[in-house]
Amino acid sequence: MDPRSPDPSRRTLLSVATTGSLAAALGGLPAFTASAAPQRPTTSPLLTGSDRDGLWWQAPGDEGSLIEQGLPVGNGRLGALASNDPGRELLLITDATMWTGGLNDTLDADGQFPYGRADFGSFTLLARLTVDIPDHDLSAVTGYRRTLDLAQGVVACSYVRSKVTYRRQVFASRPDDVIVLHFTQSGGGTYTGTITLEGTHGETPSGAESFGASFPNGLRYGAAVRAHSRGGRVAVNGSRIDFTGCRELTVVVSGGTNYAPDATTGYRDPSLDPERLARTKVRAAATHSAGTLLRTHVADYRDLYGRQELSLGESAADQRALDTWERLKARFRDGVPDPELEAAYLQFGRYLMISGSRGSLPLNLQGLWLDGNDPDWMGDYHTDINIQMNYWMADRTGLSPCFDTFTDYCLAQLPSWTELTHRLFNDPRNRYRNSTGKVAGWTVAFSTNPHGGNGWWWHPAGNAWLCNSLYEHYEYTQSREHLARIYPLLKGACEFWEARLLTTTLPGTSKEVLIADSDWSPEHGPQDAKGNTYAQEMVWALFGNFCVAAAELKKDTGYADTIAGLRKKLYLPEVSPKTGWLQEWMSPDNLGDTTHRHLSGLVGLFPGDRIRPDGSTPKDIVDGATAQLIARGMNSFGWANAWRALCWARLKDADRAYQLIVNNLRPSTGGGNGTAFNLFDIYETQPGRGIFQIDANFGTPAAMIEMLLYSRPGHLELLPALPDAWAASGHVTGVAARGGFVVDLHWRDGKPTSVRLRSVGGRTTVVAYGEVSRTVTLKPGESVTLKGFAR
Amino acid sequence: MRSPSYSVLPARGLRTVVVLALTAGLATAIPQAQAQSDDTPLAAKPYMGWSSWSMQSSKYPGLNPDGDYSYLTEANVLKQADAMAQKLKRYGYEYVNIDAGWWRDKAWKPSFDAYGRQKADPVRFPRGMKAVADHIHAKGLKAGIYLPVGLEKEAYGDGKVPIWNADGCTTADIVYDDLRTTNGWDSAYKIDFSDPCAQKYIDSQAQLFADWGYDFLKLDGVGPGSFKSGDNYNNVADVAAWQKAIAATGRPIHLELSWSLDIGHVEDWKKYSNGWRIDTDVECYCNTLVTWENSVADRWDDTPAWTRHAGPGGWNDLDALNVGNGEMDGLTKAERQSYATLWAIAKSPLFTGDDLTRLDSYGVSLLTNREVIAVNQGDTPPAKLLTPSDPQQVWAAKNPNGTYTVALFNLADSPAAVTADWGMLGFAGKASVRDLWNHENLGTYRKGITQALPAHGSRLFTITPRGTAVPTTAYEAESPANTLGGHASVADCSACSGDRKVGNLYLGGKLTFNDVVVDKAGTYQIKVAYVSGDPRSLDVSANSGGATRHKFASTGDWGTVDTVSVPVKLKAGANTITFDSGSGYAPDIDRIDVPKSSS
Repeated sequence: MDPRSPDPSRRTLLSVATTGSLAAALGGLPAFTASAAPQRPTTSPLLTGSDRDGLWWQAPGDEGSLIEQGLPVGNGRLGALASNDPGRELLLITDATMWTGGLNDTLDADGQFPYGRADFGSFTLLARLTVDIPDHDLSAVTGYRRTLDLAQGVVACSYVRSKVTYRRQVFASRPDDVIVLHFTQSGGGTYTGTITLEGTHGETPSGAESFGASFPNGLRYGAAVRAHSRGGRVAVNGSRIDFTGCRELTVVVSGGTNYAPDATTGYRDPSLDPERLARTKVRAAATHSAGTLLRTHVADYRDLYGRQELSLGESAADQRALDTWERLKARFRDGVPDPELEAAYLQFGRYLMISGSRGSLPLNLQGLWLDGNDPDWMGDYHTDINIQMNYWMADRTGLSPCFDTFTDYCLAQLPSWTELTHRLFNDPRNRYRNSTGKVAGWTVAFSTNPHGGNGWWWHPAGNAWLCNSLYEHYEYTQSREHLARIYPLLKGACEFWEARLLTTTLPGTSKEVLIADSDWSPEHGPQDAKGNTYAQEMVWALFGNFCVAAAELKKDTGYADTIAGLRKKLYLPEVSPKTGWLQEWMSPDNLGDTTHRHLSGLVGLFPGDRIRPDGSTPKDIVDGATAQLIARGMNSFGWANAWRALCWARLKDADRAYQLIVNNLRPSTGGGNGTAFNLFDIYETQPGRGIFQIDANFGTPAAMIEMLLYSRPGHLELLPALPDAWAASGHVTGVAARGGFVVDLHWRDGKPTSVRLRSVGGRTTVVAYGEVSRTVTLKPGESVTLKGFAR
Repeated sequence: MRSPSYSVLPARGLRTVVVLALTAGLATAIPQAQAQSDDTPLAAKPYMGWSSWSMQSSKYPGLNPDGDYSYLTEANVLKQADAMAQKLKRYGYEYVNIDAGWWRDKAWKPSFDAYGRQKADPVRFPRGMKAVADHIHAKGLKAGIYLPVGLEKEAYGDGKVPIWNADGCTTADIVYDDLRTTNGWDSAYKIDFSDPCAQKYIDSQAQLFADWGYDFLKLDGVGPGSFKSGDNYNNVADVAAWQKAIAATGRPIHLELSWSLDIGHVEDWKKYSNGWRIDTDVECYCNTLVTWENSVADRWDDTPAWTRHAGPGGWNDLDALNVGNGEMDGLTKAERQSYATLWAIAKSPLFTGDDLTRLDSYGVSLLTNREVIAVNQGDTPPAKLLTPSDPQQVWAAKNPNGTYTVALFNLADSPAAVTADWGMLGFAGKASVRDLWNHENLGTYRKGITQALPAHGSRLFTITPRGTAVPTTAYEAESPANTLGGHASVADCSACSGDRKVGNLYLGGKLTFNDVVVDKAGTYQIKVAYVSGDPRSLDVSANSGGATRHKFASTGDWGTVDTVSVPVKLKAGANTITFDSGSGYAPDIDRIDVPKSSS
């Protein structure tokens, strides 16, 4: 291959860019689309020195271990797990939109949705890329070291073979929309081997440099690779690319689908040829040096990553001396806090979010990463905790822009969700149908796909939980534009509940209340209970959020009054005289599994904010919630622990919240619950079988921030649940606070030493620490630094 | 004069063999073929060669076209002999061993001569067995043959078959009246050596092999072992008879025993034979020669108990080394290297079962690496397992010249870093490291060496210490200063230091050393002396930290002590170290030795 192929003409680029913006104006922009020429940094953004947030290992992954030992890269849409094996670099490449299945609108006999890989569909791999370097077999190299540079978003490895040091970098660039592999060496060595790009769905290869195909659902996809070298030669040889005697080798790969987030076009862009576009992208990227591509990527990445710094204190020298995997094992074995490792775990979550949630579909059950085509639960969007948990940390960790894929997704699905709800929800076979006989607005099932489809059982309150999550993003950002975008979702969900709520009289009283129709409290207990706490709390929050939104946007005044009226009549849970717990069902009895993973009866504590331990909530309600949380136990797995930690943070119990974080940092071996070698969270679904589920990688960082800062509009509390392990000193910057502020917080000896508030739209708020509180008033864009809380 | 430690030359022991030959009074009776053999005593080093069984037993396409085990023919054996002479002989490979079936047709029906002795199947070996041995010898190689132990049922002939060179003896005389059966398949009648005719029968078989010119005999199905126990399957007398019979022929014939020999009888095996299979067949009886799981990987668990018993004259036989052709072997490159590494360091015989006409280049590199062969063939002890029997293991041997042979293994199904800590070897400071597989000096390493290993991968090093020995402090398990929990109790143990140990560590039983003092905080490689008749696991923890569960290899029986290094994180000053059986059964603990410095 000729590394000096001419630039695509300026004219071509311009016309491509024009087409792109036209599509954007018309509606859903394809996730994989022609992009304007990347903005190249004028000064080098590369960091030097050793103080960056680094993770390192002394072993690569291999074909069979990529889900636990592959290192993830991603540009927000296009991702890969990399093995970093010296003799065989393997990238399993994904595109967020690479989904089988479709609308899935034929209900099963029970009135619920089919949930299979053909009908509902599954997230699947886009491609696999291997770079074989036979002379660099792992059994023949020494000093192998592998790093994930969180501060720059670069995976790297190095090793020595016959006294030559070889280095490799892998990164996924959003500006250039490619994954780059850069192979270098020092000491007079060269690279000889082969590059193979292939599909994983039995595609017929169309040559060494690209392939394209389509699924039965009509989704077209394709990928392309291009390589160039310094020294030696690179040549296409049948279905592979050979490289021989190269002092340096650069490989760029791209790919995608013709998915478009637009129900009116059936979620396709029929004009898009993904293989052709991928070829264009790798050809364009290959005209630049690997160094240029790296600098462009790092500048883009750091714009997001640099928004939050975190220190939870200093670790000991013997902890720092360990590689990340040994360090995880030591943290668990020795029971000694490792504040730098714990902070790095949070930053790893941020790395995953930046890598997996920009400009395409939101993070699914596996984020953006796969090791095969049959992920558990299809790698889908689960609406009863998982997709919401994925985004709890976005604002809290300074990554508000990464939230947008979640919003975009819900908006793109709304027409389909609405149509399916109208057509299918009141199917007489659906046990959850509205007994009022009415149906309005929209809701979802427990699983959703990107084709407008639902899977598994109906989940009536799922609409409220999605809306409440989207609304919280407004609380953090105070973005009216965002509020206006999500308003139709909120209103449609309110309409759904207006049609669904039943009026009942509480036994022994004359009090009329509104309760949710027959439903299941996720995911245990009776499937036909009315007035479940889960739905009542969700709808109560939804109605409140809608009313604020309507007022803020000056819309639907009359309807907002109606909804406010309904909200006042909503039944809210009581404390069981039998168990002392806040009731999950309208029953004093425990109808479910005491230590169940879900905390569906506690959604008013978190993510809801109705139950507060600050005197504003009746003490018996707080005590009942606390008692139920205690009964749920401390020893669940990933996301369930993260959720518990968030609840304990809200209850200001630092010890328990921290213990749950520590539980999630337990090294996973033999498929056990905990954190894998590559820091992915592993959920043991059956003895000895662990699967990757990404939600805890996001939920745990969310809990860590929630321990440092609680916020609601008009009220901030500093260090509500600071554990001893992090108390000595620390700081966190760029934490978004509900109400429209961004907070930088420093502490020492367990007390805040300074807090800086910057308004991104917020005006007046109380800032509290313990018994001390101050009121701050700022204009948007203004900031203030407060000190003296420690006195 | 001693030869260099790593010599693979057969120069040593010339005088010894002469003495042996004279002792046997047979110096003048050495057959013609002997002239082609070198003069080292039998099994002075682990033997090297090839065996027919791996290909016979495989369903790999094309190997056995005429039915199961049909591979074994004169043509195939000679083809392999020729290939060995051409490719491998110069590296020390010499034995060409014919395995089971040479006297059976392709329907597995046996032939016997008029004296109840196995007779070559005319289809497989049309020229008879002597012609094969002659051809092998003509190539400068040695020939091996095979028999099951006992009197094969089909040879019994109603008890009327005469025994060769034994007037009046018939097959009825050499077995028990009740025709009790023996061997791993119950395919033979147990021989009753209280009747002198029995020895005569063995003598007659041995003489036949000597006459044909064979240099090696694999005696198979031997018990106790071969998955059998009990009196009927005790073949110690058979093995002793074979040794005697071989000696009487005057021809040096290496006697190798198979399979899964009972370690409780190891002194018998050492006394009467030149090697013993410690484990079941390595072959998978599947579409390849072997698979990792069935049953190459078992050897890492089963070898440690035997290590102490290997030495000149008799070696632990880990079975065939099938690493010569990745596709046919059914193994990854990493697995093949690990396989060859363990066989080399354990001083197992190095005989391959591969098709020597189809070795791939990586296979050749594994089978012909002179540095690795030197580890196996040199005047060095077998390596022992230094770590618990966990997925990441370190094995080492201290060589007479002060260096160490060190192997790292990653038996996990995914890549992992493995560290050999110099503290495990008993010294601190620096050491230079040579990579034997890659023929490369890696330089000087302080404290230890960590390498990334592929799944089922390995590294093999020679370590030359440049540091100093680390003194240790012993803490006896039976010390009254310790705390015993659950069922744990002090018991007598003649092999243990202080003649006592702590046992009954099961179902919550635990032992805590209460006052382990070190100067500095750090991770220490604690040497744990333990006794365990079978592989058992133990949770090890220090102070209030969490426990790490380790698997301990069997020491062979409940009267033998072995020592492994376990990393424990200690603080400066006094520490507690706890060994907890948890919910299982744990080894007995003799004592721990705590180094004065951390790793």
